[in-house]
Amino acid sequence: MRKGWKAPFIALFLIASTILSSCSASESKNGASFPSGASEANESTAPASGGELTYALATSPDTLDPHRSGLAVSVRVFRTIFDSLVAQLPDHTIKPWLATSWTVSPDGKSYTFKLRQDVKFQDGTPFNAEAVKFSFDRILDPATGAKNATALLKPYQSSEVIDDYTIKLNLETPSVAFLGNLSQAMLGIVSPTAARKYGDQFGQHPVGTGPYKFVKWDENSDIRVERNPDYKWAPELVDNKGAPYLDAIDFKIIPEEATRIGSVQSGQVGAIETVPPQNVLSLKNDAKLQLFQVNTGGLPYTLFFNLSHEPWNDAKARQAVQYAVDIDAIVKSLYLGTYERAWSPLAPTTFGYDPSLENGVKPDLDKANRLLDELGWVKGADGVREKDAKKLVLRYVDGSPNREKRNDIAAMIQQQLKKAGIDVQVEITKDVSTVVYTNQAYDLYGNSQVNSDPVALNSFYHSIAPGARPTLSHLADPEIDKLLEQGVVETDDVKRKEIYGKVQRYIIDNAVILPIYVFPYTVAATRDLSGLKFDSLGYPLFNDVSLAK
Amino acid sequence: MAKVIAVRLLSCLAVVAGSSVLVFCILYVLPGDVVMNMIDPSSMSPEAIANLRHELGVDRPFYEQFLHYFREVLRGDFGKSLVNSEPVLPKIFAHLPATLELAISASFVSLTVGLALGVLSAVHRNKPIDIAVRIVALFGISMPTFWSGILLILIFSVFLGWFPAMGSNGWNTLVLPALTLGMLGAGFIVRMVRNSMLEVLGEPFITTLRAKGLAERAVLYRHALRNALIPGVTMMGILAGEMLAGTVVIETVFSRQGIGRIIADAIMAKDLPVVQGVVLFTAIVYVIVNALVDISYAYIDPRIRRLHNDRRSGWA
Amino acid sequence: MREAASVKTAWRTKRTPTTLQRTVPKIVVARWMSLTAGAVVLFLIACALVPQWIAPYSPTDMQADRILLPPGSAYWLGTDYFGRDVFSLIVYGARESLFIGFASVLVGGVSGALLGALSGYLGGWVDSVLMRIVDVIMTIPGVLLALAVAAGLGPGLWNIVLAVAIASLPNYARIMRGQILSVKSRPFITASRSIGASELSVFVKHVLPNSLSPLLVMACIGVGTSILTGSGLSFLGLGVLKEIPDWGALLSQGRGYLTVAWWICTFPGMAITLFVLSVNVIGDELRDALDPRKRRE
Repeated sequence: MRKGWKAPFIALFLIASTILSSCSASESKNGASFPSGASEANESTAPASGGELTYALATSPDTLDPHRSGLAVSVRVFRTIFDSLVAQLPDHTIKPWLATSWTVSPDGKSYTFKLRQDVKFQDGTPFNAEAVKFSFDRILDPATGAKNATALLKPYQSSEVIDDYTIKLNLETPSVAFLGNLSQAMLGIVSPTAARKYGDQFGQHPVGTGPYKFVKWDENSDIRVERNPDYKWAPELVDNKGAPYLDAIDFKIIPEEATRIGSVQSGQVGAIETVPPQNVLSLKNDAKLQLFQVNTGGLPYTLFFNLSHEPWNDAKARQAVQYAVDIDAIVKSLYLGTYERAWSPLAPTTFGYDPSLENGVKPDLDKANRLLDELGWVKGADGVREKDAKKLVLRYVDGSPNREKRNDIAAMIQQQLKKAGIDVQVEITKDVSTVVYTNQAYDLYGNSQVNSDPVALNSFYHSIAPGARPTLSHLADPEIDKLLEQGVVETDDVKRKEIYGKVQRYIIDNAVILPIYVFPYTVAATRDLSGLKFDSLGYPLFNDVSLAK
Repeated sequence: MAKVIAVRLLSCLAVVAGSSVLVFCILYVLPGDVVMNMIDPSSMSPEAIANLRHELGVDRPFYEQFLHYFREVLRGDFGKSLVNSEPVLPKIFAHLPATLELAISASFVSLTVGLALGVLSAVHRNKPIDIAVRIVALFGISMPTFWSGILLILIFSVFLGWFPAMGSNGWNTLVLPALTLGMLGAGFIVRMVRNSMLEVLGEPFITTLRAKGLAERAVLYRHALRNALIPGVTMMGILAGEMLAGTVVIETVFSRQGIGRIIADAIMAKDLPVVQGVVLFTAIVYVIVNALVDISYAYIDPRIRRLHNDRRSGWA
Repeated sequence: MREAASVKTAWRTKRTPTTLQRTVPKIVVARWMSLTAGAVVLFLIACALVPQWIAPYSPTDMQADRILLPPGSAYWLGTDYFGRDVFSLIVYGARESLFIGFASVLVGGVSGALLGALSGYLGGWVDSVLMRIVDVIMTIPGVLLALAVAAGLGPGLWNIVLAVAIASLPNYARIMRGQILSVKSRPFITASRSIGASELSVFVKHVLPNSLSPLLVMACIGVGTSILTGSGLSFLGLGVLKEIPDWGALLSQGRGYLTVAWWICTFPGMAITLFVLSVNVIGDELRDALDPRKRRE
């Protein structure tokens, strides 16, 4: 639906910011069912088995086929149905999951995995090397129509089944990010039997090896999964290695904010996702509810200049915008302190993040005006700058609906840049794919990408082969290209950090982008729910969840 | 009678055919490339796009496309969703119960509340009670339904906790949406009933009845109300259309799983076959309901039938 | 148009002293309601025409240090999440909102009336064809038609106007046609025609004045309906994003703050409700005033 979310959701980070409403009060009152992922380990009583959880999603998944999906919301459901070869912990270390161990060839171009031998798909198909090969080849096959999974699987080339439970994956080039990518749900292993049987309808009948099995999907309203009783191969991310405690989970799709919040406040549903900032504050004080907030890593919400358009191909013009925009005011007004402001092309929790950029750029309207004056843009009678009888126009494209108040950011930037004599023409469109990706009809467009590896920068800032689809920034700098290429293969963490530090400083110094905010995934749940955890990408895990009776 | 029905049915068919032309025109003659909206153009070769175009038949001239569409519709095939290639008609039928439930219960609310208040208002003409009822009715038709819906959720599910805020399973999830939509309909009906009651009360036969010494209660309820209700039957037809259209917003507010929600989502996803299917389906329902209303109208009162045909305003 | 309508009402009630004597309370009440409605409508029209004289602040001035302030002496209706003054926003938003209302009624009313007049006057197959077309448009409820148009054309002010206009066209066409048919057969028309009056002069002198009143009544109510439809489209995400949003957009954008800062969406919502309510009251009053039977009474 929203092509803007073109993200290989590589790895995201859990900053342990589990916000608990009135912690101490609830502890004394209600110690046994103290609800938090962090305190789960301290609990002495065994979690209650049984019960159904209703979990309200803000938008509808596009498909339940992990390989063909392009939306983060789908991944929240995938994690219940599909498992991955490996798991990534918040500290970026890779742990076994469906694979018990692995070795990497010295040239970094082939990975050999030993697989678990006790795993079955939910339809009874045995899990083995063939199934892994099938899944990855399926993503590669153009007939599948794979979306984000394609980018995640890169530079995968082929698989060799060595024996039933040993598989060798061959890569075109070495990739430091490959294992992390394999941990993602969009590279989850699907049942070959079911995928063959349903063909392109597999998204309506998903079968994996996950802790819950798919029951039904009433479009735009309800996705139901129930406990997979055979499950016993959970990764290190969760405590409960066996079948989940819950009988079933109902993912309800409730797009209307007020309704979603009303439904958890009235206890009609057990948990809701994506709590708007203004409600975060009031829900924190609701004694019936608990609030979880997980910051996502990767690329923060970033406004990309289109560097191929005049006059914004000039770094000076972009810097003028950089100085004229007051991002602090935006983040403060719209998110009321619940979102962190972004400073770099990478989010703070991502590998290689350069904290020296923080507080680097300060709004300075005079400087902005000076820069534009120097470029020869003179203020006209209507307050808009002109040069050679052309107005200084910035075409700002954003998608509809107004997710995370992004349209409101556009409205604020429009007013802020007016003061510098820049006429911001905001276009809100449902059809981002045509306007932005096909027609390239933007000077400024915002996007974010959930990710834990800086390799994600490549698809935004690396120049492209002639004829290929341009990146959002249209940046083409041989030096940056070289750095980004080094970043993919560099195995030494210190050197790698240095490489990405250079990239980040270049991007900010040249005002290629305006980083805006780091997106936190928020969940509000009733107090009888406990054990909700999040993976390194910030996606909820339901293995440990139980409901107090 | 049979002839009346036959003629009515024929003209219904003609109107439905017309509706399908209109719907088709709105969605397909308008600018915008259906195919480009469906796919990610950068990920497909020009030949693949051309193939898809051919497969969908959008490379043919407009009238051919329309004839093809119309033929398929006559066969009961409304096409397939562009998003998940699900056939449109079964999808509509799957979501119909939730919408019917809502439309019927909202109509019920509209009728009972509207009738009661309308009569009350007419009987106490220009007394405070009349003024109050009229203002309430005006509020009913003057408030955007998404706003009144959200207010009801706040009051009845968040603060009072009496009814669930969302869903389409069980009678209690029906209360708030039916109330929201019903308030709108009730506003219209109050005005209609009040006006026609006042009109009937001014007729000579009422004066005669009163002169004969009939009790006021009997005059009002046995004679006046009954006559005042005849235009109410027509109102049902109009109401059916309003209710169906109203579900688009209401189902979105209350996250109900009905055809109104389908069309709202389809519009967001630019899923034109679904938009087309739902609009056409609604048009068919509207035509059927109104034909029934028309026929029953003629059945109730031959005099009206003649009058009605004279004025020939079809069904309104 | 609106002022003309209310003035006309007032004038009529003054000129009927017998009614006044008989039912004083009725007139007082009736006038109280329509006078208030008239005042509301006049004020909002003034807002649309000269917002800079009425609004205390600039509607686009966003200040991060005054966000979400409740109504008070400095900001009468509070401030929103951008730090804009809600009252000034409503005042400036009137232009867009009333434009949607009036423009769609104008487009739909004029074209509908024209269609109806043609149909009624020419009769025969023209009548049949035109009325069939009208029947077809009627089968698609207004909101759905507006949605379909918005889906095809994309959101835009004129697209909303166009959609609402198309949807309301059948009502005007039918009323006009019905009026013309009933007027056409009256003896005085036949009489004036027999003394050699041209078709056009008969139409202008006799048919038009008689048909105008129900059209006016409809138009009043129609203005309200189109504003409501427009706000519904905003809610569904098909509205127009403008520097100065219309009321529907304000209401729909502010609804997420209802529990935190109720004033952001409540006041625009009240503006819509009050305006629609007022035009309806005026419409009702017009109907009563122009109905010949009621006048006799």
